[in-house]
Amino acid sequence: MAGKVKNAGSRTTNPLVEKIGGQRLVVLLVIITLFSFFSIKSEAFRQYSTILSILDYSYYITFMAIGVTFALITGGNDLSIGTGMVCYGLIGGFLITKMGMPVGVGLVVTLLCGILMGVLNGTLVAIMEIPPFIATLCTMMIARGLGSIVTGSMSITWPPLATEQGWFRSIFKITIGDTKYPLGFLWVIILIIIMTIVLNKTRPGRYIIAIGSNKEATRLSGVNVVKWHMLAYIICGLFTGFAGIAYAATFQAVAPGTGAGLELDAICGAIIGGTSMKGGAGSIVGTLLGVFVMSMLKTGLPYIGLQANWQQIITGIVLIVAVLIDVIRTKKSGK
Amino acid sequence: MKKKVLSMFLSVAMAATILVGCGNSNTPASNTPASSSGSEASSDAGSADGSFHFEIVSKGFQHQYWQAVLKGAEQKASELGDTMNFVGPNSESDIAPQVQMLDAAIAANPDAIGLAALDTSACLDAITAAQNAGIPIVGFDSGVPNAPEGAIVANAATDNYAAGALAALETWQLIKDKVAPGTRIGVLSQDATAESIVNRGLGFVDRMADLIVSADLTVNVEGNDRFVNDTIAEKTEGADVIIEVLVPSSVTSELSTIDCQTLLNKADTICIYGSNQHSAEAMVTADENIGKFGSAVVGVGFDSGAVIKAAVADGTFAGAITQAPVAMGEKLVELLHAAASGEAVSDVDTGCQWYTAENMNDAEISQNLYD
Repeated sequence: MAGKVKNAGSRTTNPLVEKIGGQRLVVLLVIITLFSFFSIKSEAFRQYSTILSILDYSYYITFMAIGVTFALITGGNDLSIGTGMVCYGLIGGFLITKMGMPVGVGLVVTLLCGILMGVLNGTLVAIMEIPPFIATLCTMMIARGLGSIVTGSMSITWPPLATEQGWFRSIFKITIGDTKYPLGFLWVIILIIIMTIVLNKTRPGRYIIAIGSNKEATRLSGVNVVKWHMLAYIICGLFTGFAGIAYAATFQAVAPGTGAGLELDAICGAIIGGTSMKGGAGSIVGTLLGVFVMSMLKTGLPYIGLQANWQQIITGIVLIVAVLIDVIRTKKSGK
Repeated sequence: MKKKVLSMFLSVAMAATILVGCGNSNTPASNTPASSSGSEASSDAGSADGSFHFEIVSKGFQHQYWQAVLKGAEQKASELGDTMNFVGPNSESDIAPQVQMLDAAIAANPDAIGLAALDTSACLDAITAAQNAGIPIVGFDSGVPNAPEGAIVANAATDNYAAGALAALETWQLIKDKVAPGTRIGVLSQDATAESIVNRGLGFVDRMADLIVSADLTVNVEGNDRFVNDTIAEKTEGADVIIEVLVPSSVTSELSTIDCQTLLNKADTICIYGSNQHSAEAMVTADENIGKFGSAVVGVGFDSGAVIKAAVADGTFAGAITQAPVAMGEKLVELLHAAASGEAVSDVDTGCQWYTAENMNDAEISQNLYD
């Protein structure tokens, strides 16, 4: 059964394009075009530090996006990732800075919080069958409130790099000599490879895709849909935990009450990358590329002198185009 | 059937949990920092007439700045033998929860109310109710801008425009030799709607433009429309010096950081000013990959917090402006006490200070710096 489930994320008509990855190829071309365009238009953009920064600010969105891709593939969604990420970062940081615990403990707790939230979301969606949009909307609010309660509504500053406790920031960016290297990108690549294999080559991944395609048929063929459906949300929670760590490492200061809206960046990234909002199809590599389209736009548009509000409009248009491509492609492939 | 009942029961239980959860998100946050200092003092004083109870509604405790205000208020209340209940919403965008807190404050029938309104128009009904109940309201921090005539008896606030102007003046001392035709001064503002933030930006822009003109150079303000339209600096095509004000489309660390990087990467930028804790922290993050602050570009911040203090101490920032939150808390309680006693009160500027690596450890300044 598991072997027959097809991840429609790679469904195209041209065999060559299919091999390289359909929509992913288009998205990759978009990224290259955007990068070339900004580089030609702005001298200030053409710098190593710009690439470093694009990567820096992409880690937390990428992690959230990898996680939410699993929720989206089941035909669900997870809106709690934005405020959740901030909440876990606050709790972990609180333990380190206010309770005097070692950074390692803070990092583990940050991940555990993510997993716990995943379990809660999974319980609401898979066991209690509350529509994912509603369930995770509620947990989004819970996460926001919880972060404020734990920290007494005060912002938390994770230890700076210069201090003994600041080593965790080198997980994502390491300085050798005078040059900084985006070490975090290595972890992103490794996790992308692992999760691509999990999604496409393992039984749990196949079942998650199958649930998104047709939950009832999957259940009737003897699969424990509740278990695997729940797993998708737990994976999402775990990656939100990673995102919390990446966010703290990049921005250092985490403010309670924030994070709402960041989940949309991640969801947009996944959708641009070819994950279907209807479920049953998605690609982790596509998600990474989708996130980079967003990051490229956010970073590049200010360099060509575009006012902040125009950036939002252009990002909105790009999203429409991406979804449109998906709709047309799905129609063409005869389904 | 059994299953249905069970699932219904579970749903109700979940809903209840969620409701409790949501409810909690406000209550403890508002109660935790609440204090009732001075209880011993008031019991010492027995039933002296001079002891009052105040309800103080702040903008929340998201920034450590508010903890310093609370500290000042606690100190003064205990000194005067008054009691108080100091509350605030979860974040500075929680307008509705703040209105609820204000309603609750009025219902508690205190001798006076302290208010830092997030949105004056949302608070109007409550303010009228307080007026009708004869409870005087004292504004603090950004106060209650555009409140109806007579509703607010006095304000204890930083003159944000003056604070921005002080930042410009101090910055000018550092950059006046570098200011020449073809240079750019960057300003980062968290938003273009909150009066306190806009005034800090405008105070800087106006004063800086004035100083540049007095050095026989022409200047033009570019960037965000609000600042371009509201500045007193004249529009000049092809000016020698450009003051560029950037405002992100939404308040996220990422967008503010990207704005700062855009400015840092422009070859003609000589100085960048971030007008609050959020913007100044974004400046520190932005410079991590570029490393121009402290050498090619002069960085100037506003407020404190661990990140900004470290940046000032290690020379990344040439300096920063701090408000005097402790003094603000003290003045607030003084004004509340006076208003409750029926004395005439008037606005107090609680002041601001320029701090650098040299003077940040002086007692007068360090009491206003927080982590």
